[in-house]
Amino acid sequence: MAVTSDTSPRGAPARGAADSRARREAGLSGVRRFLTLREGSIVVVTVIAIIYFATSNSRFFTGTNFKTLLPYFAPYAIMAAGQVFVMITGEIDLSIGAMYLFCPFIWEKFHGLGTIPGMILAILVCCLIGAFNGFAVAVVGISSFVTTLGVLFAIDGLTLVISHSTPINTPGVTVLGNSTFERIFGGGTYSELIWAIGIVIILQLLLSFTRWGIYTVSVGGNRLGASEAGIRTRLVLIRNFVMCAGLAAFVGVLEAVRTTTATPDPSGSNDILFQVISAAVIGGTLLQGGSGTVVGALIGALFLGILHDGLIINSVNANYLDLYLGIAILIAMAINTYVSRVRTGSGRG
Amino acid sequence: MADDTTPQPQPHASAQTIVAPATADDDVVRVEHVGKRFGPTIALRDISMHLRKGEVLGLLGDNGAGKSTLIKILAGFQKPDTGTLWCKGQSYSPSSVDEARRLGVDCVFQDLALINELTVYQNLFLQRERHHRPIPFLSNALMKRESRKALDEIGINIPSIDVPVARLSGGQRQAIAVARTISGDADIILLDEPLAAMGAKEGAMILDVIGRLKAEGNVSIIMILHNYVHVLAACDRVNLIQEGVIGLDKPTAETSVEELTEIVVEEYRRARLEAQEEERRHAAGNGSDVTSAGAGSAPSPDVRR
Repeated sequence: MAVTSDTSPRGAPARGAADSRARREAGLSGVRRFLTLREGSIVVVTVIAIIYFATSNSRFFTGTNFKTLLPYFAPYAIMAAGQVFVMITGEIDLSIGAMYLFCPFIWEKFHGLGTIPGMILAILVCCLIGAFNGFAVAVVGISSFVTTLGVLFAIDGLTLVISHSTPINTPGVTVLGNSTFERIFGGGTYSELIWAIGIVIILQLLLSFTRWGIYTVSVGGNRLGASEAGIRTRLVLIRNFVMCAGLAAFVGVLEAVRTTTATPDPSGSNDILFQVISAAVIGGTLLQGGSGTVVGALIGALFLGILHDGLIINSVNANYLDLYLGIAILIAMAINTYVSRVRTGSGRG
Repeated sequence: MADDTTPQPQPHASAQTIVAPATADDDVVRVEHVGKRFGPTIALRDISMHLRKGEVLGLLGDNGAGKSTLIKILAGFQKPDTGTLWCKGQSYSPSSVDEARRLGVDCVFQDLALINELTVYQNLFLQRERHHRPIPFLSNALMKRESRKALDEIGINIPSIDVPVARLSGGQRQAIAVARTISGDADIILLDEPLAAMGAKEGAMILDVIGRLKAEGNVSIIMILHNYVHVLAACDRVNLIQEGVIGLDKPTAETSVEELTEIVVEEYRRARLEAQEEERRHAAGNGSDVTSAGAGSAPSPDVRR
């Protein structure tokens, strides 16, 4: 369509030359475009990890192993998708682990309203907490690190209070575990994967092709400039915090349905927080804001999942697992940085 | 903010008289007795000014005289503490940049308000994006076409509109900020140092564009400039802000680079004399207490030519 006229330099006489240049570039553009994508380098690193585990262990490339891998990656991918929106604005949401933990318990309280209405209400409650995060950051002006750290402790604490520190059975879950509701919301083998892919696609489109996305980048890139340009920066911040909290709550639901119970254990949920932030950062989202992709976070989560799973099937001693995981992440990020340096060198100026 | 507006209680009526709020029948903007302070700093004391339809008004003043504050108030980015504003005959108190823009007032801010991470065309359409109808996806192809057209009209050479503005030079970035404002629907345009980072050629292009807008007569422009030659070349009238009030209001035809320079240098000399006087008083009296009142550094006369 309008591609040639868009890329051609101004003026009609240059049109012919520009056309042939555009055609020449089209040949290269496959490789080049891939490498100029922000998530290009993490894809390379992930492929390297897959090749390594596939050659070192025949059990890696099997359907069974893929199913084991899923829970180590799909939930993180969904939560990271929301976190990316907050991180691109230059903020961070530490309270997502707490939302994840809290949601099933509040859902259980609302269960009397029916399974699905209760679930929606529980997620809305978490969105409201997300709105509070956004309000405290954007309007009151407390740093997001402090705000969400406070909310993390408060909500973890609240979860212990309302649950009396006792695990619950997930509402709406049957003994057989095969109702349509369960199969859709986390119980089905591929349910979380499908949710993850769907949410990532939608949020990537939101980020790349809508005002919401453009404004998110603007707020993170130049907050004063964005407000001078007339963007309502507070609204942008608040709605990203709401979305992030809502997605974390939703993952709380999926995981509670999948495992059929919920345990009020804050340390587990905060472990998830670190996984999510790692996935986002490994996927190319900058901690200082202004840049990031949702697809990158998905691949970052996939990479972490593969690493975890690959080390386990390679029978790494459980005591050494985290040590190796940490070293592997550092090596991977070093490669990632190197590849992206090569990448920006190859990008056009 | 500069020292000339810091703590002193401002009793010493300076040599200039406060110009009465001049008006004309075809005013599009009127500013009456506007004051603005930031904590103890008085940015604007009592500003009254006006802008006629189709006019290009040059706004001069020292660094920290309050020019940018005045522009930001007119642009809806800040609210005045006192005074009233009128725009096209209506009372004007925009609550946001957005509202000001809806009323036809748009601004190129000194810091340009560009988002480095976004591309040239995304910046050009920031906050007035075009999007498809049922699904609100941005229509990038349309925005790219229109951006190319807008930049061609100005005649500024931007190699590619698909690159992040971070990769462009200072002059190019400034041109994009100017293009963004003048390609909008605004009929009152505020420019805060539109030529600051530009080379001679780019600067001439922007002045050309402003000349063209002036010839068409549809827009009225307030422009902060530092180079008096540019002021005389591009503006119909010049206002000089001194110590938070309009100290001079003259058509450019009736003034000259020498006169403008003389006024500013005179102000500088006076400030320096006052500073020395102050020091002498302190030395004669208490001796030690010389810290007060920003007397040390007098405002610099920002004369380029």
